[in-house]
Amino acid sequence: MYKLFTILLFCIFTVSTSAKASTNTHVDIDLTRMSSTMVYTMVFQMVTDPQKYVGKRIKMKGAFSSYFDEETNRRFFGCIIKDALACCSQGLAFELAKPRKYPSEYPSEGSSIIILGTFELEKEEDGIGFPIIKDAKMFR
Amino acid sequence: MLDKLFFYLDFPFVRYAIIVGTLISLCSSLLGVTLVLKRYSYIGDGLSHVAFGALAIAAVLKVSNNMLIILPVTIAVAILLLCGSKDSRACVKIRGDAAIAMVSAGALAMGYLLMNIFSSSANVAGDVCTTLFGSMSILTLKPTDVYLCMILSATVLVIFILFYHKIFAITFDENFARATGVNVSAFNLLIAIIIAVIIVLAMNLVGALLVSALIVFPSLSAMRIFKSFFSVTIAAAVISVICSLTGILVAILAGTPVGSTIVAADILVFFISYITSFIRNGRM
Repeated sequence: MYKLFTILLFCIFTVSTSAKASTNTHVDIDLTRMSSTMVYTMVFQMVTDPQKYVGKRIKMKGAFSSYFDEETNRRFFGCIIKDALACCSQGLAFELAKPRKYPSEYPSEGSSIIILGTFELEKEEDGIGFPIIKDAKMFR
Repeated sequence: MLDKLFFYLDFPFVRYAIIVGTLISLCSSLLGVTLVLKRYSYIGDGLSHVAFGALAIAAVLKVSNNMLIILPVTIAVAILLLCGSKDSRACVKIRGDAAIAMVSAGALAMGYLLMNIFSSSANVAGDVCTTLFGSMSILTLKPTDVYLCMILSATVLVIFILFYHKIFAITFDENFARATGVNVSAFNLLIAIIIAVIIVLAMNLVGALLVSALIVFPSLSAMRIFKSFFSVTIAAAVISVICSLTGILVAILAGTPVGSTIVAADILVFFISYITSFIRNGRM
């Protein structure tokens, strides 16, 4: 009986761990598989109509960028993409699931990175939200 | 390739781009034949620069619906250029091509100047670039933009079909049309308004600098192959729609700028029709 209970517990643990792992790697919108025109348009849609994308797992490739906001005393990290003419650029802010030390553990400005995380709307004090990829993993 | 295309077609903004692209290219080609035959090919370029200038004014004034400024300004200038240049008294000393060149360069320069001085955007160069070359605008349309485009395009099509015979008469011989009782001035005014509407709409598709290509290329391609006004008009419409659809789909799949890809498709079809005409007739 005790053995059976142990095996059952092990099975439940294994299933829940694999489910968690699959959630972490699950991607709703994979921008890395789209053409540059589509990527730019998708990011534009996410920025202008963010409510539609809240909670979706996003994977995107772009250039690393960082910005220190003196008002909030907070450093923002972003994944920047350019349009087909390379005259317009836009991007999404991201927050790593496991924070790293800046700048030593981050790539240099403009380096190519891949971000995988959950799209969220972070509310500011004035009530206006801005889109950000949270709980993110960063790959170079 | 097809899997990717069907995957992209699932996104509403891609479907909007295809609908609007088809409508704009259809309307622009219909009036394009008239403009080319009346030797007003360059007016599309001039008016699109005016629309760009009006867009800059709308941006400076922070008008939420910029069509409220762009459309009336472009229509007013179209009437001045198309109707005024016909009447020497109306356009005192500056006529025809000089007036178009003056308005075209002036509006472009003033638009860029205004955007640089007063724009609140962090990326002025990007805003100007995308307006002039239409790299993405067609893929960033909202449903309201699509409905407005559908209404305006339907209006243009209905007017063209209803007054087809009058437009035909004015295109070839205004004096003859006047002699047969056609109110030439009123129809020139109508054509000017329609052209302004088409140009404002077409700016979304190919950008301000490439609008004239959308008007001129399909008509010229059709004229290489067909000879009657009716067949040229139909062929220009078919060529224009096919080129726009091809351009939009190639741009989406290959990641190229939408406006220039559409114009590249138009140029390709022009060369094909040119060679076809050369082989068939043995002359240029």
